[in-house]
Amino acid sequence: MRILRILAFVLAALSIGQPAFAQGISNLPRQDTIIIENPQGTITNPTWFNIWVVARGGVSTGLQQLGMDTLWYIDADAGLDGVRDNSLAADKPQYNADFTEMTVKLREGIYWSDGVEFTADDVVYTVETQIKNPSMLWGPVFAASVEAVTAPDKHTVLFKLKRPNSRFHATFTVRWNAAWIMPKHVFEKVEDPTKYDFNPPVTLGPYKLHSFDPNGKWYIWEKREDWQRTTLARFGEPGPKYAAYIDPGPPDKRVILQLNHQLDIIHDTSPEGVFTLVKQSPSSHGWFKGFPYAHPDPTLPSVMFNHQVKPFDNPDVRWALALLIDIKAVSMASYRGAATISAIGVPPTGLYGQYYFEPMEDWLKNFEIDTGKSKYKPYDPTAGQQIADMLRPSMGDQIPTDAKEIAKAFGRGWWKPNPEVATELLERAGFTKQDNQWMKPDGTPFKITLLVEGDQRPVMTRAGTMIVQQWRQFGIQAETQAYPSDFFPRVELGDYEAAIAWSVETWGGHPDLSFFLDSWHSEFLKQPGDRQPPRNRQRWKSAELDKIIEQIRKIDFDDPRGTELGIEYIKLAVKEMPTIPLMSYNVFTMMDTTYWTGYPNAETNPYTNPVPNWANTKYMFVKLKPAQSQ
Amino acid sequence: MLRTIGNLLRNNREFALGAILLLFVLAFAVASFFSPYPPQDSYVVPPDVPPSWAYPLGTNSRGQDVFWQLTFSIRNSLLFGLSVALMSRMLSLVIGLVAGYAGGVVDRVLMTINDTFVVIPLFPILVLFFFMMHDQMSWALLAIAMASLGWPYDARLIRSVALSLRHREFTAMSIFSGMSARQILMEEHLPYVLPIVFSTTLNNMNWSIGLEVTLSVIGFTNIETPTIGTMIYWANQHTAIVAGIWWWVLFPIVLVVMTFLGLYLLSVSMNEYIDPRSRLLAVEGQK
Amino acid sequence: MKTYALYLARRLAQFVLVVFIGINIAYLITHLTPIDPVEQAIASATMIGQSSPEMVEGLRKTLRELYGLEGSAFEQYVAFWRRLATGDFGPSLSAFPTPVSTLIWQALPWTVGLLVCSIVIAWGVGNFLGGLAGYYRGNLLLKLVGIAAMSLQPIPYYVVAFILLILFGFVWPILPISGGAEMNIERSGFAFIVSIVKHSILPVLSLVLVGMGAWFIGMRSLVSNIVNEDYVTYAEFGGVSRRRILFSYVMRNALSPQVTGLALSLGAIFNGAIITEVVFGYPGLGTLLVRAVNAGDYSLVLGITSVSIFAVAAAILVIDLIYPLLDPRVAQG
Repeated sequence: MRILRILAFVLAALSIGQPAFAQGISNLPRQDTIIIENPQGTITNPTWFNIWVVARGGVSTGLQQLGMDTLWYIDADAGLDGVRDNSLAADKPQYNADFTEMTVKLREGIYWSDGVEFTADDVVYTVETQIKNPSMLWGPVFAASVEAVTAPDKHTVLFKLKRPNSRFHATFTVRWNAAWIMPKHVFEKVEDPTKYDFNPPVTLGPYKLHSFDPNGKWYIWEKREDWQRTTLARFGEPGPKYAAYIDPGPPDKRVILQLNHQLDIIHDTSPEGVFTLVKQSPSSHGWFKGFPYAHPDPTLPSVMFNHQVKPFDNPDVRWALALLIDIKAVSMASYRGAATISAIGVPPTGLYGQYYFEPMEDWLKNFEIDTGKSKYKPYDPTAGQQIADMLRPSMGDQIPTDAKEIAKAFGRGWWKPNPEVATELLERAGFTKQDNQWMKPDGTPFKITLLVEGDQRPVMTRAGTMIVQQWRQFGIQAETQAYPSDFFPRVELGDYEAAIAWSVETWGGHPDLSFFLDSWHSEFLKQPGDRQPPRNRQRWKSAELDKIIEQIRKIDFDDPRGTELGIEYIKLAVKEMPTIPLMSYNVFTMMDTTYWTGYPNAETNPYTNPVPNWANTKYMFVKLKPAQSQ
Repeated sequence: MLRTIGNLLRNNREFALGAILLLFVLAFAVASFFSPYPPQDSYVVPPDVPPSWAYPLGTNSRGQDVFWQLTFSIRNSLLFGLSVALMSRMLSLVIGLVAGYAGGVVDRVLMTINDTFVVIPLFPILVLFFFMMHDQMSWALLAIAMASLGWPYDARLIRSVALSLRHREFTAMSIFSGMSARQILMEEHLPYVLPIVFSTTLNNMNWSIGLEVTLSVIGFTNIETPTIGTMIYWANQHTAIVAGIWWWVLFPIVLVVMTFLGLYLLSVSMNEYIDPRSRLLAVEGQK
Repeated sequence: MKTYALYLARRLAQFVLVVFIGINIAYLITHLTPIDPVEQAIASATMIGQSSPEMVEGLRKTLRELYGLEGSAFEQYVAFWRRLATGDFGPSLSAFPTPVSTLIWQALPWTVGLLVCSIVIAWGVGNFLGGLAGYYRGNLLLKLVGIAAMSLQPIPYYVVAFILLILFGFVWPILPISGGAEMNIERSGFAFIVSIVKHSILPVLSLVLVGMGAWFIGMRSLVSNIVNEDYVTYAEFGGVSRRRILFSYVMRNALSPQVTGLALSLGAIFNGAIITEVVFGYPGLGTLLVRAVNAGDYSLVLGITSVSIFAVAAAILVIDLIYPLLDPRVAQG
């Protein structure tokens, strides 16, 4: 009977404890707290806040979103006040005529969270310390490009560069992240800045660390009392008093948590999970209020080929493989139709529709492939429309009808599958078909192993599975292989034939393409087996492309000729098909309006990218308002 | 043989239930040979259709018929269990018989290795194995790895029988008549331990299928081969539970639980029937 | 006492041997992996966010030095054992420069707590009910328990945990399904304990459900054999109360093989705890291990494997050493 008494006691204790935990976040007032998914999951090294050392601790824990700051931000979408924001800088970067010097004017009256004023010395210290410590993240970049950095006065920094570089400011411009400014007064006191854990972090952002889990599952940030002395204050007061970045577990647990209103922002989940939320939780919405819900990140997942492996060095082979892909089936298999497709080498996101896609539409319609036997115009401008039509019967009024809306949500055209033209292209490349199996010019069967990331990126894995299925049906021995953990090292070592990955990432809001394109110059190209630095993962080598890149290097960031050169790159990439562009990287970020309103969305207020691991999401906090007071 | 099975079916309820369960599961596996679709192709049927006449177990979010997927999966899982069991039986037979027959230093060395494997937690070792093989991880490699870990319990059991056989008169007779050690083990001792081998095979299959499911659902195997584990893996990838596609998760679990129960019941009832001690007593009586 | 000393020496020698062989296997496997932790670290830094060719080249050079990946294979092996002697596994590569031992110490209490609770409950309740079932063979309720135990026992831990997760996390969401305790809670005091208990119910339950069956079935058959022994019959004639017979005579004698059984199955129970942690996102060694594998962090993987081999072997040793003191027959056998 003693056992019964103990049991009764435990039950009683549980029921007493119950009310305190009903909200799931215990002693913080729920209506003052926003709970956000940290997509890094559980942080193995929770006490490490030194973000300047290579990838050792949590980054998307609120640290880079709410704690850090740097000179400029470029938004992936429209921006609060234009795409570009001068954050710690008071103005745009000022270059001299030959781009060997960059002068930065800094804002005044900005303070660190411990009350020390932010000055030009912090910027100088940031650059000099990292040059001295090459194992720090930005050290090699600064060492390669900065001759000297000085502070002529308290609010001016002067960079002298080693060679002309019209894009040097990009290092200090946030697209997801950038080189963050270090607090000189903290770091100069420690012996070795690479071994210092920076716990608790001294922040420049509007929040400071409140508490965190010693097991790395959650981080709570608290609004600074002196938030007015931070750069974000120009846009008003941040709404939430507390922000909790948590590890909610696998995709299905995230959906369950948001259904219970215990997770305000889901970073990403499966398309099926989103459909469930849309059906069962009226307070949840995505970037698009209707289909496809997800936010298209300015990143372009593609079928990448290793140009240093035969026969993928041959553009005819790459084009033939592209003409075997039915993008509608790939869109359905990967995103259940919630994809934003792209036929060209830039992501169909942010403001890129007006920068590149609309101007190129006519050229694409007239683009012609000459197989030697026949001529074929592969571009099908209605592919996006067809996907929308396909989904309408089951999704009803979730699917937009306006052509412009469809183009934004589902993308514009793509390549029309055509096995006959693919056959002609392969035959021109010396391939032959024997008993329903394609043979390479050397007489061996044509086999393709397509690398995918497995459960690290389920949606892309699904796309890969569908693509190899289509190649198989044409008589190519194709299969996927999943590498959940060392996918990128393998791709960058060139130890692959084909992979679903990306080598194109753009600012999203700004038309300049140097963010990825500069690294595609053949001066960075490595031998097979050597590690290719990001982002020319396909190891494409083209003299024409080198010329375009060199011209871009010589013009100013905002020069309108940049867009023209960008179009030239796109045309070249269509002809050569170095990678087969598929779609933008759509992230299923779902936002719950039960406690907070004012999240960005595509239709009425596209002021920033809501995907919460982007450092740019700090702008979201000034727009967030408590739902209860309304 | 047939009469024994008939007797067991009539008199032993556990045996009968186990046999029925396993026959059902086997029928499923055999059905895979009649599947209208290749197991790896997706979007061959409309996705997310609940169980109906057209699709008795429904279809999954990858556009596959759950019924036909399940036939391939259970076939691969059973084959996997069987290959692990067969390979590890070989190991435990050789090690158990040799240790028991040779005795002395050989016995002590072999049993020390044996006991080490008994206590080492196997799961971290298998995870390590995945860590090492990584991209080359395949169905066959995993089977070999598990076989080389799954023998020690049963090797000890076989050794204890072999140990007692060694002191038996017929062993001495064989040695006098000039039979080699290999001949004695193969021709004289093996028949006595075969019943144990048979019943441990069933237990071992349970063990290996269970581990395969566990490793697969956290993605530590080759996810392209359809097995019960990879089926649950894909269902989790598509958040089938929260999306309401319960039939994608429920049916594989029901079928695999039936497999576990069937194998377990068979091995329990057979153990009672062919207890090595009772067999030895019978031999003793004949002498 | 001399027999005990001999027994002690033999068991200690075996313990040392097991740990030595086990850790060597783990060392060998982790160092055969093709994963390069330097490439892994660079990829995690440059895969997302800003990067440039200069950054990658520079980092590569300095990281190799920093991680101490230089020296011949033999030198690295000797250095490993020398450090291990002081309980040091070196720095974790995915959480550099935090020592592996720090990370393990953070996770270990959770795993140990989970294991101890579930073993005590499963072993205690399983044996208790099994003993009753062997003694009172006509009891319908105990027969039903027997059938349940039979059906749960062969099912792998993962499947049971997964079913519980669906039932109590989704179908009838009354229990937490993720983590070890609530957020931002004072890590001491009553509320913290309640929170831990609440978060542990499902993981412990899944370990108990699977684990209990074997003890129940084992104890039931042991007791039903002993009940037929002469001394039990005499005791019954002698008017000793049935309760006393059951607990003092029957169960006590049946306990010995069950304790040995516990020692032998600790490894398997540990496997179950690891997978259960993964299912429920419990902050113990299991989730740490899976994370380390996915991050390609072989020093952490090696550390966790070594510690688990050591811990399981040590627990077995302790059971083996204490037990002969309670039941002297064991040391002689």
